[in-house]
Amino acid sequence: MNLRRVAAVASKEWRETVRDRMFLSLAFLIPILWMLVFGYGMVLDVENIPYAVLDRDQSALSRDYLYRFQQSRYFDYKGMLQTEGEADALLAASKSRAVIIVPEKFQERLLAGQPVGVQTLVDGTFPLRSDITKGYIIAINAAFSEELVVDYVARVKGLPHARARALVQPVKLEVRYLYNQEVKSAWTIAPALVMFVLTLAPPLLTALGVVREKERGSIYNIFSSTVTRLEFLVGKLAPYVGISAFNILVLWAMAVYLFGAPFKGNGLFFYATALLFVFITTGQGLIVSLLVGTQQAAAVITVVLSVVPTILYGGLLVPVSALGPETKVVAHLFPAMYFTNIVHGTFLKGVGLEVLWQDVLVLVAYATALLSTGYWLFRKRPAV
Amino acid sequence: MDEEVISRESPIVRVSQFVKRYKKHVAVQAVDLAVRRGEMYGLIGPDGAGKSSLMKAIAGVLSYEGGEVEVFGITVDSERAAERIKHKIGFLPQGLGLNLYPDLSVEENIDFFARLRLVSEKELAERKAGLLAMTRLDRFRDRPMKNLSGGMKQKLGLICTLIHEPELAILDEPTTGVDPVSRRDFWAILAELQQERGVTVLVSTAYMDEASRFHRLSFLSGGQVLTSGTPAEVQALVPGSMVTFGATPQREAIARLKAQYKQVEALGPLLHVFTEETVPAAALQSITASLGDIKPVHLRVDEPELEDVFVALLLRQGKQPMTSKGPLVTPSSADRGLAIEAKGLYRDFGTFRAVDQVSFQVKSGEIFGLLGANGAGKTTVIKMLNGIMPPTGGEGWVAGVDMKTAGGAIKERIGYMSQAFSLYLDLTVAENIRLFAGIYGLDARATDQRFKWIVSMAGLKGYEASLTGRLPMGVRQRLALGCALVHQPRVLFLDEPTSGVDPIGRRHFWDILSRLAREEGVAILITTHYMSEAEHCDNLALMYAGRIVAEGSPAEMKDQVEKEAGQLLEVVTDQPGPALRGVTRAGFTGAALFGTKIHLLSIEPGQDEARLRAVLSSDGVHVLGVSARPLSLEDVFVYRVMALERQERATAKGAAA
Repeated sequence: MNLRRVAAVASKEWRETVRDRMFLSLAFLIPILWMLVFGYGMVLDVENIPYAVLDRDQSALSRDYLYRFQQSRYFDYKGMLQTEGEADALLAASKSRAVIIVPEKFQERLLAGQPVGVQTLVDGTFPLRSDITKGYIIAINAAFSEELVVDYVARVKGLPHARARALVQPVKLEVRYLYNQEVKSAWTIAPALVMFVLTLAPPLLTALGVVREKERGSIYNIFSSTVTRLEFLVGKLAPYVGISAFNILVLWAMAVYLFGAPFKGNGLFFYATALLFVFITTGQGLIVSLLVGTQQAAAVITVVLSVVPTILYGGLLVPVSALGPETKVVAHLFPAMYFTNIVHGTFLKGVGLEVLWQDVLVLVAYATALLSTGYWLFRKRPAV
Repeated sequence: MDEEVISRESPIVRVSQFVKRYKKHVAVQAVDLAVRRGEMYGLIGPDGAGKSSLMKAIAGVLSYEGGEVEVFGITVDSERAAERIKHKIGFLPQGLGLNLYPDLSVEENIDFFARLRLVSEKELAERKAGLLAMTRLDRFRDRPMKNLSGGMKQKLGLICTLIHEPELAILDEPTTGVDPVSRRDFWAILAELQQERGVTVLVSTAYMDEASRFHRLSFLSGGQVLTSGTPAEVQALVPGSMVTFGATPQREAIARLKAQYKQVEALGPLLHVFTEETVPAAALQSITASLGDIKPVHLRVDEPELEDVFVALLLRQGKQPMTSKGPLVTPSSADRGLAIEAKGLYRDFGTFRAVDQVSFQVKSGEIFGLLGANGAGKTTVIKMLNGIMPPTGGEGWVAGVDMKTAGGAIKERIGYMSQAFSLYLDLTVAENIRLFAGIYGLDARATDQRFKWIVSMAGLKGYEASLTGRLPMGVRQRLALGCALVHQPRVLFLDEPTSGVDPIGRRHFWDILSRLAREEGVAILITTHYMSEAEHCDNLALMYAGRIVAEGSPAEMKDQVEKEAGQLLEVVTDQPGPALRGVTRAGFTGAALFGTKIHLLSIEPGQDEARLRAVLSSDGVHVLGVSARPLSLEDVFVYRVMALERQERATAKGAAA
């Protein structure tokens, strides 16, 4: 391998990339944009649900009941209504997602030991969100009812509150979430997005970069010169890998500092495996570029090949373990899953090679296979 | 004596029974070729003739299906074998500037090619300086390649191909899409480089009129070699003469001549006929006889050009001359008044004046040619007259309406055909015609009627159900013309309509245009790069830097230049390189190498010939012959533009001083 030729190709490629506005933004701007757009768009936590109340009782107890919603970080109080008609209008305009209607004689009947129904209107447009909203409401309502029972038991039996509480709820569930203590989806999704962006950006840049030469005809400079296949590919891909190597740092910083994801593992281990993953996706881009003739085709095929498997099978939205048996097999065919394991392992669990060595091994195999296939497919004397 | 050494040496490229297929399509079939060291070998043929496939295979960048390709004694039959010849080869692929890197500067492009070829930095600096100076690109070292003109891109491409001093340079259509001045410049540079370095050049072109620049050539058509040899040998294959004359009524004269001759062309008011008679007197007599009572005027007999020879060869091959005998005649009583008038048109883009005070008139039934280099303002003029682009100032009338106020009305009265042929390639011929009829709002009856007219006029019979993308270029071009005529416009604009079409197809196309003009009274405004085509126009305007700098019929324009600069002399010598240097030293500044011959302009041919012979014989060069040649329109174009460029440089220098 003659390094001077490699350097000639690499420096030409680098200059072209930074001088072409499209390639420059694809290299440095688009990854950041994806991280932002998908990061904010895919965080699944339902918080600050706008809601309104209609208090027909206007008693001390009804105000106490409603106050519990106001205190919750999951709800965002939008005001007090006078009629039910107003409630419909608010829901229809999506200004609030839930309306809680406290009936008349709320306090009176409760104090008399009679059951009361609190009507709750929930916007059901997005089932996932409505379910979560309903869950929060049920939880707050249950806590309120429990208080009432505890109060009652304490009063009747003359016991202290704590003792009464133990009687009312003999089995208490204690849940501690590991790795993501606050069960914030951003903690899980932001690191996975690092994987997602690294699946899409490097192959897109590579595929477009190689096809651009084919499309224009400048690839004949390479075909007709004495530069070897290996020299050309190394020189051509080096700037792209370099750009992605830089982007790994940017994406990591965004996940940690912007989305607040914890990073508990070994930084060097993460960086090395991320780079390995970049080799894989760059190899994918190279193979696509060798099979198609136009930049449009390269872009479409790369996006389809990268996005679909990653979102569906890469553990970005649904963990691979939750997939059906057939889909689980499919998931194992794509490298994304293995890197997701590494990402989640290093970010959230703080584990390293000792646990993730199998995933690393699979990635090494992928990188070797894809890059050698690319090398083998590239011909300096093609048939067309 | 050089010649003998060359011919005794074995060829450095030897191709035998070469076959190249793309899937089922056979691109090249059983081609033989031999290129000897030190010669400039030309591959001539229209698009799709198989030139590129052949050149790529020789350069070792394309595999092939049959036959043998041997380069520098190595049989190129595998990627490994191909690698062994590549250090001796420079390959310039087809497409103007397409192998260069648009975002890199001129110098960075050259450096890249040099480093890829491991040229040492010292040699690189030397060669770069030399080549940049020779191509006059040194002032533009730091300019990004994408901001170069077509001619400059082409020269940069040549430098990049030759920077590692290959023994064999393979240049695929280096002159396509470049204006005549840049093209001549390119050939001059190439000839000079070849003389200096002794590099062997294999070059292809679709311009038939460039054929005489090569030492030897092969004419390709449909994937086969029609003929090979030196220009003189090829010419000798089809003995005959070209007779040019005026005859009225022209249509009637053409009808009578076509009964007897296969090659009859209308060049403006003149007719151009190829006869197999080699003796001028006999040729004249046979023409006069077949014209009957029509009396020819301004009779002239010339040797046939190579293009005429190629057409004759193609016709011998059984290709039909494809004359459209269809019912073109919709005897129009259209007035023969003005169809297009431009008066002091100008157009500014920011501070740049793209078109400056352009005025001309085109009558109904007239073919008017607008010539000029890329960026001279031709397309802007057409766009303004079409009503696509508002002029900054000046006036224009097209088909009787004011282009500034008419807007949509203009579009109903004109037809427009662009270089890119705005056809839908995935539709069939019939679907395309019907689509255009629909766009112009023709009803079912009118559509049927025009459909039939277009099919017969454009010779599309049998192609109706073919996919447009699969048609040969010539047929596609005629379909585009038909679609532009679907709404019976009185004025037709053609923007470089003939790139890449084979000579017979081109002649057919011009035959149709001339009938449209003569029989239907359609006014035609055409821009073209092919100077041989400009000969077909009744009147011409040459644009330079937004202005019209010369006007008149082709004959008038030639006469003017002949008066100013003299006659074209062709000098044949035994040593073209030293001869050119001698001639240039003797003060003939416009002298250029034309294959093995030298062309120059001379005001007093008699005296100059004597001076030439004296100068050259003192240099030890044998003059084998000096003869006067008729000026071509390309000579006119180049002369005019060069004079203007000199003038501009002089004023620029004056301003700087």
